[in-house]
Amino acid sequence: MLIEEIIIFGTIKSGVYALLALGFTLIYGISGVVNLAHGSFYMLGAYLFFIIGTLGILGSGTILSSILALIFAVILVGVIGSVTYRLTIHPVVGDEIAVMVVTVCLALIFQQLVILVFGVTFPPVRWPEDSFLMTSIRILGVPVLYSRILAFVASMALFASLLVFITKTKIGKAMRAVSQDREVAMLMGVNTERLYMLTMAISAMLAAVAGILITTSFEMFAGSWMWLHPLALSFSIVILGGMGSIKGSLVGAFIIGYAEQTVAISVPEGGQIISVVPLAVMVLVLLLRPKGLFGKRIEMEE
Amino acid sequence: MVLSYLRRAHSSFAAHVFDIPPRLMVFLFLLILLAVPITGISDYYMGILTSANVLAIFAVSWDLLVGRTGQISLGHSLFLGIGGYSSALIFKYYGLPIWITIPLAMLIGSLFSVLIGFPCLRVKGPYLALVTMAFPLILYRIVKWAPLTPIFGRVGIIVPSFFHFLPIRQQVIAEFYFTLILLFASSVIIYKIANSKTGIVFMSILDDEVASQACGINVTKHKLMAFVISGMFASLAGCLFVHLLRLAESSVFLLTVSFIPVIITFLGGIGTIYGPIVGAYIYSILDKYVLGQMLPNLLEQWQMTLPTEFEYAKLLIFTSIVVILVIKWPRGIARYTTDRLEDLEEARDLDERGPRIWKRYKQKNRN
Amino acid sequence: MREDLESGKDTSRRTGIRPLKVLTMHLLEVKGLTKRFGGLTAVKDVSFHIDEGETIGIIGPNGAGKTTLFNLLSGFLTPDSGTIILKGENIVGLAPHKIVNKGIARTFQVVRPFHHLPVIANVMVALKSPRGAKKIEWLKTMERKAADILEDVGISEVMLEPAENVGHGILKRLEMAKALATEPDLLMLDEPFGGLNPLETDFLTKSITRMHLDEPSRAILVVEHKLYALMKIVRRVIVLHQGEKIAEGKPEEIANNKLVIEVYMGKGIQHA
Repeated sequence: MLIEEIIIFGTIKSGVYALLALGFTLIYGISGVVNLAHGSFYMLGAYLFFIIGTLGILGSGTILSSILALIFAVILVGVIGSVTYRLTIHPVVGDEIAVMVVTVCLALIFQQLVILVFGVTFPPVRWPEDSFLMTSIRILGVPVLYSRILAFVASMALFASLLVFITKTKIGKAMRAVSQDREVAMLMGVNTERLYMLTMAISAMLAAVAGILITTSFEMFAGSWMWLHPLALSFSIVILGGMGSIKGSLVGAFIIGYAEQTVAISVPEGGQIISVVPLAVMVLVLLLRPKGLFGKRIEMEE
Repeated sequence: MVLSYLRRAHSSFAAHVFDIPPRLMVFLFLLILLAVPITGISDYYMGILTSANVLAIFAVSWDLLVGRTGQISLGHSLFLGIGGYSSALIFKYYGLPIWITIPLAMLIGSLFSVLIGFPCLRVKGPYLALVTMAFPLILYRIVKWAPLTPIFGRVGIIVPSFFHFLPIRQQVIAEFYFTLILLFASSVIIYKIANSKTGIVFMSILDDEVASQACGINVTKHKLMAFVISGMFASLAGCLFVHLLRLAESSVFLLTVSFIPVIITFLGGIGTIYGPIVGAYIYSILDKYVLGQMLPNLLEQWQMTLPTEFEYAKLLIFTSIVVILVIKWPRGIARYTTDRLEDLEEARDLDERGPRIWKRYKQKNRN
Repeated sequence: MREDLESGKDTSRRTGIRPLKVLTMHLLEVKGLTKRFGGLTAVKDVSFHIDEGETIGIIGPNGAGKTTLFNLLSGFLTPDSGTIILKGENIVGLAPHKIVNKGIARTFQVVRPFHHLPVIANVMVALKSPRGAKKIEWLKTMERKAADILEDVGISEVMLEPAENVGHGILKRLEMAKALATEPDLLMLDEPFGGLNPLETDFLTKSITRMHLDEPSRAILVVEHKLYALMKIVRRVIVLHQGEKIAEGKPEEIANNKLVIEVYMGKGIQHA
């Protein structure tokens, strides 16, 4: 029973975490920006999903309307992401300290904005109560909500399609070119600024999707604190797998996901220290392998 | 001292490299601070300045690590918390007087920074920032973890003030002077270190780690040195804070606390050591006086009140200020002022006080 | 062993200074050095030796593995196999800063000054290293010593300028000053003439020659593209091609070596 729970819920969470971490690693790999506001896009996704859902412009109470709300929320977050990138991060790109300070500031700004708007209320973020997504099915004797299965399937599908996008399409190739050598790519006629904005939009959208999927299937409520854990998650996963490595982020996500679920179920009051797990795993890995599991080995460049 | 050498050589030049504030300004600043209690301002405002003193120690320690050595730490609240908790725990379990707990807390803080520095300093740049961010988050959870509640207390650990034996007014004044003296001592120590030859090595690591390895410098050792010095003074600040608040609690480990030295340092000017001190006063006065007292009073005159959410908006304002400062004015306020002063000075007497050694070499070349 | 003894005598005869102890070994001995990057073998089974007081050049076309060899010797890369023996001690696997303190200093092909520090403080960083600090003589401050070194390489007039404000030629010489400050037994210069105009090249050639006269026991290893300048200062040349040593000998021998001309200059490139 214990093992099954760990396996099933661990797998589901890991799948979504992979999506979350992919966004983080993408923007780092391509523009070198360590986006500490990544968790905020996760939070914004959940909040916008709730807002659009309650406004009821796209209908309400049905799965279709919820999915439409999800899509709109995600697109909105993408727009917010690329606009904030252009306004605040772009002027300091290249200066590591400045980028990190600015992005942490952004995270705190988003957090404070959410507190100002919503105060101490925690809006519910979930699928329509009476839909089949809120019913459960038994897998290996463990009841699993359909929404959780949806979360896993959807995130894996998105992960795969993003891989295809990066390897097959022209824009994806330009992205990889820029990540290899920015200046040469610029000389070849790649508009890096626009490309970075697009990457940021994609990265923010991935975070928003992950935010909505996780919140609708696990927590069910949004709150102003909810950006920190996903941020810790995404950077632990990405450091574990190696910064800028897509394969690494997938593997890292599964390691962290299972470790987290194990602690949550088997340690007394484990739920309270669940957010320590990814960080502790990360620190342990860094002790053993400073470049992560799959990180590029940095030789001297000359 | 290289500092005196360079000062002799070319006064305003040295100020450019090592950011030496004009002595007169430092003296005046100190004099004003020393005279504050005489003006008889209320305990509340004294408290603001006292906390500014402690924040200044915290921010100066951050500046040595980040602004001078280039090792980005976004989790400096870790040391604040360790300093605070260790002095509180020592007090709670051993009942030692605070005069002993302060050095002990600093010692424990530096031991922790060695322990944490080893894994952290194996990694660089963004990795380092993320790892340092992780540690306080871990400790925050551990301190709040239910099975450990008996040790760390449900609401924290209550400790007495430093001067609990004095009446309230004297207590406030004594606290102010005590923290001011500690600020002065620790910032002088950090300043001397930062501008010593070891400080030059720190700056070489900030500029180019590989090149300083090629100069035969043990980079890891020097980074660890900066880390330990910084951690030691941050734990001093933590210990002071606990006794000022009369409470050690888990919220010191929050990310927002780690962010206070960042705000302060960017306000004052990163990499200057004296900038964060100025920044700390600006921050505290803005935070507690301008936004906490002046604005509500002003609005009251127009029959308006601030919404209760305004407390949250403060952080919003500060973070926005930092974003704007980083993008538009990365040199900070204190450094901007001294730069202007130096421009004036330079225009006036560059030739008169010209560098002796420099002149000698020039003459040689001419011959 | 007999060879070693002979080479020891050879050094003393050439420099005109009798060494205090009889040299029984080379200053640096490299044996079977190999380094692979993935599928590419950047340095393949390279062996050579350097004696005290020798000036030796390494040439080769682009991608010959010169810089990789350089990084292997200075510890920035670890070889896959082979040994590097400095004064009888294997230094493979030591950290770069430890190697500097054992007596090998290097410069970089692309200059790496400490931008925020003044020129003189750049040199003081190197003087702060254990080896550099040890070599500061009695009653001489670090500042004095740094100023002297800067004067030796001829850039003392800009010593108080921040390094970010001075020109490329000066930074090239600053690189050398930083390496010299650690008082190395073996000074390795990575393309010291790269990006210099003829005047500066000439000056640098002279100062390297003079440096040699000042400190006759110091060996110098130069990696260079500009063959003309190189041939004037070195006594022995090693030619690398695709990671392998293909020739070694006196400059004039190398200039007439068919194999070298074929791989290096044969493709219509006539340097200098």
